Amino acid sequence: MFEFFFKYPLTVFRKGDFVLASGWPLWLLIVLVLGAGGGLAWHLMKHQGWIEGKKPLLVWGMQFGSVALVLFLLWRPAISIQSLRSQQNVVAVVLDTSRSMALGGGEGEGEKTRLQRAWDALDSGVVDELKEKFRVRLYAFAGGLHRLESLEKLPDAGNATRIGESVAAVLRESASLPLGAVVVLSDGADNAAAFDRGLMAEIRKRNVPVHTVGVGREEIPGDLELAEVTVPPRALPNSQLNAQVAIRHSGEEEQTTRLTVRDGSTILASKPITLRRGQNLHSESIDFNAGDAGIRYLQFAVEPVGDEEITGNNSLSRVIDVPRGRRKILYVEGEPRWEYKFIRRAVFKDASVQLVSMLRTSPNKFYRQGVDTPQELEKGFPTTESELFAYDALIIGSVEAGFFTGEQQEMIKQFVNRRGGTLLLLGGRNSLGDGGWGASKVAEVLPIAVSDDSDRTFFREPVEVVLTGQGRDSLVCRFDEDEAKNLEKWKELPAIADYQRVGELKPAAVPLVNARVDGKDIPLLVLQNYGRGKAIVLATGGTWRWKMGLPHDDTRHHVFWQQLLRSLVANSPGPVSISTNRRLYADDPTVKLRAEIRTKEFEFANNATVTALVTPESGDPETVEMHPSTEEAGVYEAQWTAARPGAYRVETTAHQGGEPLGSEVIHFRREDGLAEDFHPAQNRELLERLAEQTGGRYWTLDEIADLPQEIRFSEAGITSREIMDLWDMPFFFLLLLGLRGGEWLLRRRWGVI
Amino acid sequence: MTKTRSRTVGVMLTLCLLLSTSFAQRFGAPRFGGFGASEIPSDWFAPDAQGEFHFARLVYSGWGGGRRRGGSWATDYPDAEYHFTQGLRRLTSIDSARGGKTFRADDDDLFNYPWLYAVEVGRWDISEEDGERLREYLLRGGFLVVDDFHGTYQWAAFLAGIRKVFPDRPIIEIGEGDPLLHVLYDLDQRSQIPGISYVYSGATYQRDGYKPYWRGIYDDEGRLMVAINFNMDLGDAWEHADTPEYPEKMTALAYRFGINYVIYSMTH
Repeated sequence: MFEFFFKYPLTVFRKGDFVLASGWPLWLLIVLVLGAGGGLAWHLMKHQGWIEGKKPLLVWGMQFGSVALVLFLLWRPAISIQSLRSQQNVVAVVLDTSRSMALGGGEGEGEKTRLQRAWDALDSGVVDELKEKFRVRLYAFAGGLHRLESLEKLPDAGNATRIGESVAAVLRESASLPLGAVVVLSDGADNAAAFDRGLMAEIRKRNVPVHTVGVGREEIPGDLELAEVTVPPRALPNSQLNAQVAIRHSGEEEQTTRLTVRDGSTILASKPITLRRGQNLHSESIDFNAGDAGIRYLQFAVEPVGDEEITGNNSLSRVIDVPRGRRKILYVEGEPRWEYKFIRRAVFKDASVQLVSMLRTSPNKFYRQGVDTPQELEKGFPTTESELFAYDALIIGSVEAGFFTGEQQEMIKQFVNRRGGTLLLLGGRNSLGDGGWGASKVAEVLPIAVSDDSDRTFFREPVEVVLTGQGRDSLVCRFDEDEAKNLEKWKELPAIADYQRVGELKPAAVPLVNARVDGKDIPLLVLQNYGRGKAIVLATGGTWRWKMGLPHDDTRHHVFWQQLLRSLVANSPGPVSISTNRRLYADDPTVKLRAEIRTKEFEFANNATVTALVTPESGDPETVEMHPSTEEAGVYEAQWTAARPGAYRVETTAHQGGEPLGSEVIHFRREDGLAEDFHPAQNRELLERLAEQTGGRYWTLDEIADLPQEIRFSEAGITSREIMDLWDMPFFFLLLLGLRGGEWLLRRRWGVI
Repeated sequence: MTKTRSRTVGVMLTLCLLLSTSFAQRFGAPRFGGFGASEIPSDWFAPDAQGEFHFARLVYSGWGGGRRRGGSWATDYPDAEYHFTQGLRRLTSIDSARGGKTFRADDDDLFNYPWLYAVEVGRWDISEEDGERLREYLLRGGFLVVDDFHGTYQWAAFLAGIRKVFPDRPIIEIGEGDPLLHVLYDLDQRSQIPGISYVYSGATYQRDGYKPYWRGIYDDEGRLMVAINFNMDLGDAWEHADTPEYPEKMTALAYRFGINYVIYSMTH
């Protein structure tokens, strides 16, 4: 339609420059137009009286418009545009042959697959027409880029769609050729997760327009897809974990299905879920146990609903490292008390937590438990950062602030801030406000304001505890996966033996449990992040009543403390901290390694030697040198190619001045044949963005016949400037006809003809 | 002859009765004068006394119960508590409440006091219900110290009661390396701690309990639940802490054992 009125496609007007091609001076046109306007006005005024009111002005407008338009057309308006010279340029036609292109047969797609439809579209004369004007290079991409010699044989489907990488590869390959344009036929389901801004900038830099042709449905009704599963990369043995699962669905109607977490053939957790109508993205939370030490290859899956067409996207894998060894927690207690005993009992058999404690039994005597050697803590609380920072978490019980020197208080603060450890302060007669902690250097770290006035804050009165909203969601406070049952189990707990009043919550504080005192709720268990670590206040020393007040086989006291203590150390970083940009590489071999290296005092280690030993499931290990990041202090990076599918173990070791700083192990997995099951609908947004950013255009398959004509307007390759006349554009003739005809009709209506 | 013999027997019986009454008054019932009498401040046993640790005493039925005020469970009461908790407050960091508590096994409040002392358990009579309650108390994390019973006969009586609590758990000699003996004081001196009768008789033993035994019942994790002082009388040693005739050395040792029992129960 556009071309019917305006003679040329819209692209011509977008890319070209408007010119007056007659060569006559513009000022003359303006003078003549103004002169014509004045003459017509003089003529109407001379013959006034035949019409009245504002009608002469309307007639003048129409007559002036007609004369001005004719004069304008005499000056030969045209579009000056650069176009590719015939047979001197190359056009690359890139066809997506990934597995998602084998889909089809659904609503709106006919019986043929996407690949067949794209193939047919090219074969229906488009390629031949392109060949008449350009040298055409045919490519197929699915994971990698392959040159096609002809359209005679349909290529095999590949495992992944990497549009960005493929276009960049075409541009690189054609760097020495006069490449005029790139045409990409794809469903846009890019699953390389690497089409980032850098890649887009690389494509834009070549200034070659990329025309994208969208294939396939933009929505697949009834399809369920696990869009994302978020789990921690590491977990302590037998710790309770929570996964956040995002499920994409059409949202047309309410659907029920079941979410399951499996480790091999073992079901770790399973729950029914309801996907509500009108929500395209459903978020679900599921708890499961990390199990014994080792590597967990977890499978998250939702059951297919009805006769779901694509079921490959109903499950996602995740890798979790459950390292052996116990994380060390230092517990300093100022007086023998029942809480101390029952905390120790709670983690007595915990394979993931080592509770090292020093208990002040008499004013000058300490009783140590859980130490590795007789020398550990022999001289009391650590006096050096390296000694203190060897622990992953620190618990301070009923100990007055004055017990610690100023340097030790600063160390405790840095333990949280710089080392990334967790500090847990318990209530007690020597704790918090009553222990003078409000005036200590540690006060800044705490999630609550600590009163430093002389009023007593610790009370030996039994009080009930109440879960807060955040507490209901917290794994620390989880006795039962079912929220209602969990709440009931909290309500059944016996009153705690004592409580301590704390000040106002700080802005970032998260209260998990409150104590109900005289009908009012006051904070009892509060946490906040501080620096790299976390600080928690549990303003009581009386949870032991949960053990003594319930049947001996009731596990709630122990479960609470196990979960709390594990949460203290679960994310505690070591001096060497290795991560990969993903844990599961679906049809993607590029692995980016990132290591954060610190000294024993947890200062940035910027001159360390960092190596990663990558060991595949089968095959020889390979040592990868890691290099300092130019952007972040203490960070070392490397890129590595996982050539084959399977599991890989990465052990990163850091040395500084010949001294070992530490090492850490992480696992990842590469799996092929998965990526194409995800995002099966056409990603029109990506295709449009690619075209728009490069100066190309997004096409549907129905429009592709016009592509050979339009593709020639490009500034890339070998071009010449072309003048495209506009004077004979139908729009102008219709406008002129309208002006003259309109005047005639008006005159007729007024009866002055 | 028969008359003379009858008169002699009558005089002897009267003398025995007078002697035994006198002895009982001196050493048996607490707070009735004699060596054990201390001036305890009136507010010492305030019911609302607060603290982390409370000296809790088990009230039980037993065949000695009718002879003494309060029964045999109340032996040394309250002087033992009075002296011992003072020592506990002075020698340790424990926030020990003044005074003490007494509980029957069927008292629900017992579970709020995880340290329990039972005296003269050679005379106790534990019912099946009491046994079940004490078993539950100990399995939840409570700690029981039994004391002041001597000889073969009383051991058998104690055993009959404790088997209602733990029918199958073995009673084990506490080894030298057990943390109980080192948690605050290193108690490598296994001296027999005698009762007050030692002051008169010079014998550290009673009945046929010549040799002291420190025995225990452990839980599945190897933690001591019941500390058994057999052929000893720590209670008397605490009660007579300020009795000049009672050896200070024995009182000091009894304090050390008692303190170790308390700290062990708060750490294991």
